[in-house]
Amino acid sequence: MAWHRFLDHTSEIILHVGAADWPGLLAVAGKGLAELLLRGARPAPDPAERVLEVVAHDRESLLVDWLNEIVYLAETAFWVPQEILIEEASDSRLRARARGVRVETAPSLVKAATFHGLQVRPSVEGLEAEVILDV
Amino acid sequence: MSEDTRKPGSQYPAQRLSPTCVEIPKSARADLRVPARVWADAELWKKAVSDRTLEQLLNVATLPGACGCVHAMPDAHEGYGFPVGGVAAFRAKDGVISPGGVGYDINCGVRLLAADVGVGEVKQRIESLVHDLSRAIASGTGRSGDLRLNVPELEYVLAQGSRSLLERGLATQADLEHTEAGGSLAAADPDKVSHRARERGRGQLGSIGSGNHFVEVQRVETVYDEDAAEALGLWKGQLTILIHTGSRGLGHQVCTDFVRIMDAVMARHGIKLPDRELACAPFASPEGKDYFGAMCAAANFAFANRQVITHAARQVFRRALGDSGDLRLVYDVAHNMAKLEEHGGQKLLVHRKGATRAFGPSHPETPAAYRGVGQPVFIPGSMGTASYVLVGTDEAFGLSFGSTCHGAGRAMSRTAAKKVKSGQEVRKDLERQGIVVHGSPGELAEEAPHAYKDVDRVVQVVHDAGLARKVVRLRPVGVVKG
Repeated sequence: MAWHRFLDHTSEIILHVGAADWPGLLAVAGKGLAELLLRGARPAPDPAERVLEVVAHDRESLLVDWLNEIVYLAETAFWVPQEILIEEASDSRLRARARGVRVETAPSLVKAATFHGLQVRPSVEGLEAEVILDV
Repeated sequence: MSEDTRKPGSQYPAQRLSPTCVEIPKSARADLRVPARVWADAELWKKAVSDRTLEQLLNVATLPGACGCVHAMPDAHEGYGFPVGGVAAFRAKDGVISPGGVGYDINCGVRLLAADVGVGEVKQRIESLVHDLSRAIASGTGRSGDLRLNVPELEYVLAQGSRSLLERGLATQADLEHTEAGGSLAAADPDKVSHRARERGRGQLGSIGSGNHFVEVQRVETVYDEDAAEALGLWKGQLTILIHTGSRGLGHQVCTDFVRIMDAVMARHGIKLPDRELACAPFASPEGKDYFGAMCAAANFAFANRQVITHAARQVFRRALGDSGDLRLVYDVAHNMAKLEEHGGQKLLVHRKGATRAFGPSHPETPAAYRGVGQPVFIPGSMGTASYVLVGTDEAFGLSFGSTCHGAGRAMSRTAAKKVKSGQEVRKDLERQGIVVHGSPGELAEEAPHAYKDVDRVVQVVHDAGLARKVVRLRPVGVVKG
């Protein structure tokens, strides 16, 4: 069972995610970020499907780049993913199909996902990670 | 005397050097290249050791080419990579430059405008002025400003900063003379700013963004130094406007791009770090030079952003008050930046993340108008509390690489702040104090005064330590939140 929650930080927001496997962890991290991006927004349905691809050099950088891709799309395409299907996820490459919603103005308070203290680590359920989001 | 409070950040030996400064020696950790200094009285020291501020500061002290000491200002708190309120200098010849040492909001900064009228003269119009400001200035993350720049126009802004706005009539020569570096960093290299960063920034010029960014209408409440206040053109009762914002999505993306680039090349440069967010490269390397050029271009965007907001504020005030609504720029100063400076005969790259440059009266980069007084420094408190105008000191040059604090500093997470009071309650509190507020309930709750340290205490520490000198205290009468 994949899950996400937000943890306290003096000035930023920590996104804590867990899932049974690596594709599941990437998907739930994307959904958790999307929840933050849509706070206070009035989203409209968007039937179009997008293919998202990210390449990085290890798991942690792939997770950070994936979240930063979503921040970028929210701010420039005014689009936030809601349903995320990870089609391919290695330690250095991700390919996803996503459906989402459109927003009238770029909705986010998130500037970027950071590497600070980031480690994708084994858990009882599979994998977990904490990502500090600069807000 | 030694201080060793057994709290999260205080497993390290700490020596109090003065009532306002604590030092953690180089011997505290095997990987430190220099000692660390925390500018704090006993109360603020307790806060500094209550989270990961010290650990993050000591991580900075491991970076190659670090000089002197790394510093945490009295408003410092846990961030990511560098602590917020961190200052560190690295040798230009063989030291590093770190995007995480500047932060995602490159050239986040503050500018102060002063009116020719007192708040008392326009008291009945404050509500409508604040309302009109909120309509004229785009706020909220990603929300577009009035100016949507085409490709050459954005290029010009990145290269020239506030100077690019002269021809459009959005800036004056006097504005440039009262902005750090003239509002235009010559080292800017727009070619190093990615397409993605440009896309994020193209529609955001003239917008304040979210989080702790704001435009505030204020009254000069207390004058501490009559001569300095006169030099800055400030007087008791005067109406002022404080603008706090940065380089918006463009700067965020520049940092994202270069953290990624440097993370990938650190091994090649033989750099090992205790925290990946400190990703860095030698300043003299291609990656270091590229980041510096891109960072300066993003900083120029930020100077121009605050200038466009200034123009919008001027239009609002002129419409409402005629000639007496003229707003003079007192100064504009950055608090997230890496700058090439000479200290002790060495060229250093001084990183200030949530810290303000505070050059003294005799420094050649102190603007001509304030030579003999000191470079103005603005320390915003929080909604409902005071803000301060200070001036830099020559003494600070030797103490903290000419740096001081940048605000009150957060003391509480956003979640914790919301548990204390709802946005509606915060709004009522502020209105009871006669402060007109424009902002969403969520933002108001997260940015409420109780979420911050005591700005009076923070400012008193920098004043007593000689890092900057108090000139006036400002009291808010109206707030436009991001």
